Amino acid sequence: MSEHIVATEAPAVAARGVWATVRRRPLFWTSLAALGVLLVVAAFPGPIAALLGQPDPRACDLSLSGQPPGDGHPFGTDIQGCDVLANVLFGTRTSLFIGLTTTALCLLVALVLGTVAGYFGGPADRVIARLTDVFLGFPFLLGAIVVLNSAPERTPLLVAVVLAFFSWPTLARLVRGSVRSVREAEFVQAAHALGFSHGRIVLGHVLPNSLGPVLAIATTMVGGVIVAESTLTFLGVGLVQPTISWGLQLSTAQTYFQTAPHTLIFPSLFLTVTVVSLIMLGDILRDALDPKGRS
Amino acid sequence: MRTRRTRLATITIATALTLSACGSTDSGETGSAETAAPEDGGGSFSMAVTDPDLLIPGRQSVAFDFAMTVWAPLTFLELDGELTYVQAESVESEDQQTWTVTLRDGWTFHDGSPVTAQDYVDTWNTVAYGPHAFENSGQLAAIQGYDDLNPADGEPTTEEMSGLTVVDDLTFEVELEGPDSQFPLQLSQAQTALYPMPSESLEDLDAYNTHPIGNGPFELVDDYVEDEPFVVTAYGDYAGEAPTTDQITFVPYTDNVTAYTDALAGNVDVASLPTSRMTQAADDFGDQVYAFEAPGISFLGLPLWDERYDDVRVRQAISMAIDRETINDVIYGGQYEPATAFTPAIEPGTPEGICGQYCEYRPDEAAALLEEAGGFEGTMEITYPGGGGLDEFYNAIANNLRQNLGVDAVATPTADWAEFLEARTDEGIDGPFFSRWGALYPSQQATMRELFLATGGCTNCVPSYPEDVAEAIAAADAAPDDGGESYAAVQELIVEDFPSPPLFFETYGYVTSDKVDELVTSPIGNPRLTHIVLAD
Repeated sequence: MSEHIVATEAPAVAARGVWATVRRRPLFWTSLAALGVLLVVAAFPGPIAALLGQPDPRACDLSLSGQPPGDGHPFGTDIQGCDVLANVLFGTRTSLFIGLTTTALCLLVALVLGTVAGYFGGPADRVIARLTDVFLGFPFLLGAIVVLNSAPERTPLLVAVVLAFFSWPTLARLVRGSVRSVREAEFVQAAHALGFSHGRIVLGHVLPNSLGPVLAIATTMVGGVIVAESTLTFLGVGLVQPTISWGLQLSTAQTYFQTAPHTLIFPSLFLTVTVVSLIMLGDILRDALDPKGRS
Repeated sequence: MRTRRTRLATITIATALTLSACGSTDSGETGSAETAAPEDGGGSFSMAVTDPDLLIPGRQSVAFDFAMTVWAPLTFLELDGELTYVQAESVESEDQQTWTVTLRDGWTFHDGSPVTAQDYVDTWNTVAYGPHAFENSGQLAAIQGYDDLNPADGEPTTEEMSGLTVVDDLTFEVELEGPDSQFPLQLSQAQTALYPMPSESLEDLDAYNTHPIGNGPFELVDDYVEDEPFVVTAYGDYAGEAPTTDQITFVPYTDNVTAYTDALAGNVDVASLPTSRMTQAADDFGDQVYAFEAPGISFLGLPLWDERYDDVRVRQAISMAIDRETINDVIYGGQYEPATAFTPAIEPGTPEGICGQYCEYRPDEAAALLEEAGGFEGTMEITYPGGGGLDEFYNAIANNLRQNLGVDAVATPTADWAEFLEARTDEGIDGPFFSRWGALYPSQQATMRELFLATGGCTNCVPSYPEDVAEAIAAADAAPDDGGESYAAVQELIVEDFPSPPLFFETYGYVTSDKVDELVTSPIGNPRLTHIVLAD
């Protein structure tokens, strides 16, 4: 088998198989559409909010506090008299930013450590495996609360980094397992036999063939991270004012739930739709990419 | 987590409970309850509190309610503003500088020993002694010799204040640093550092903290254990007016919202009202909600060390851009009162309305005034202590300022109370900030001394300490007691300078279970637990 065939044809076959599987699933298109809309919202929250009523999430009139949905405010107003819709739309950007940044950071660390452990095995594998064990042994929420509580300024970026710090081990283990299964494949052995360098084998042959399942789980993880951020913020240790975030909106709304339930319902709705879409998409991709799962 | 809880508690106190003052929603009824002969006792109830750790009256900061049941003050300020005498028979002075305190005969501590003048003098010397570092020692700072016990450098060379002299078993003299007409008020119920401790117990203060012995209507039953409920029962030999109940259980809570919910469920009978529940309390508790007028006042502190706030018109514009009425209705369920002066309205003689148009909501004039002063450059970041339920309050103010003045105003919490306090004390804040003071006795003096003097306890709350204000306060102290008129004159100087916009006259809120028929207060804003009326 020549390098040419390995490099171009094998992934192409896999991709075609995945595409054939997912394109027939209505849930795939549903979640993709939902995420597409959310990404557009995250990119242009202002203009979209303007189309639907109030363009500025900080233009608040206290005398209009806690108004139910109605004219000019499709989702009503919150306790400060700010437009709930505008706030929810601007919150999309924060949530997606944290979800994507955290996952990207995790993926970076996981790919490096997981590949080293899985490909080389031996002492490197043992050291990295113990390291991930240590991190997995940490109670995630407790760790995040301790770290965030001692942080001077809790910006979205910092929260993303802290979440990534505690979430990379799962992904690293997955990469390691995936790389290990590919390591023994015939085309890798052939590459060894041809005397290719480790770097060339890893980048050219191992990684492209082990990335699929990892990306599927990473998609699910974006959803998980968004929930984690909202949870921490709700508990008062995540994001802080004046950042606009769903977690903050929920945290405020719980106090006034009896008098203004809509302030709780709309951010929850957006949060749920986002997370469910991401998890569904991840599940479908995993089904399609996991050879054992494919019929 | 331990530290975090303590911090939260500190903020709760700072924002909701601290010290008290007068005026219930139905003062007429309360008055009659006070003059009526106490009922035959009987009954018990429980009250939700923050775990106090410190019970010694000279040290406690969150055990006011406990202290006011276990000790009797020298004087008591009634709801109608009348000063009555409890442990003291009289407090007199010729020149308002040397005061003679005469104690009532026949009063005893819970261990049966008589309360003597020597006990008072020994207690006050112990509380004021610098190396002991008693939290409330500042309440004695006006007595001559206090500075000797608290030298700026090194150890004090004496253990006694020169201003205290025992005349006989029941009489002692107090010599103040300067004349002060408000001294008898300073001996009233919330100035707990002045409560007597038996002389022999001063040898072992740790033991005394575990099991305090007071001279009041209730005595502690078992030793106090941290985070455990503690019970007080009526002291049979109490020489004063007997309390209306036999027993009170103080139940420590780490979160006052939990306490509120427990009160709703009937698991605890009296609880303070958390800020976050103010708007729904009336729905939850009906007429079992009490908003006691208190000597607490909040300001929007301004960073006068930042030159952008130098122009008085900028400060006035900020004040006029804040819609106090609406904030009160929306955030506080209408429980507070928009401030119109620089001391709480309950303090006698407070010139309500002296702030005039500057404390009214006039957005257009505010914008014009700011324009005239040259506008405002940069971001206006309002800083407040996080974790204390203040977010909505400061967000509302930021929204007001942004909308009405067109400045880029945001509200940002600090991680906790300690961080906030450090930043404010070190002038490390470059925007408006949280500022409030709850006085311990309802006199304008009590608020002014802490806020408007450089030596005050509320460091940098109103960071402007002009010479003429300090002189005017000293002159008012020396003037005969004229119902607060001389202090009102000081406020004319303050309004001229307008260092910080006053925001609200505070009330202290409480809720009760069905077991309580009426919660009675006194002019310090805390419930008067000895006079609670239980339902049949």
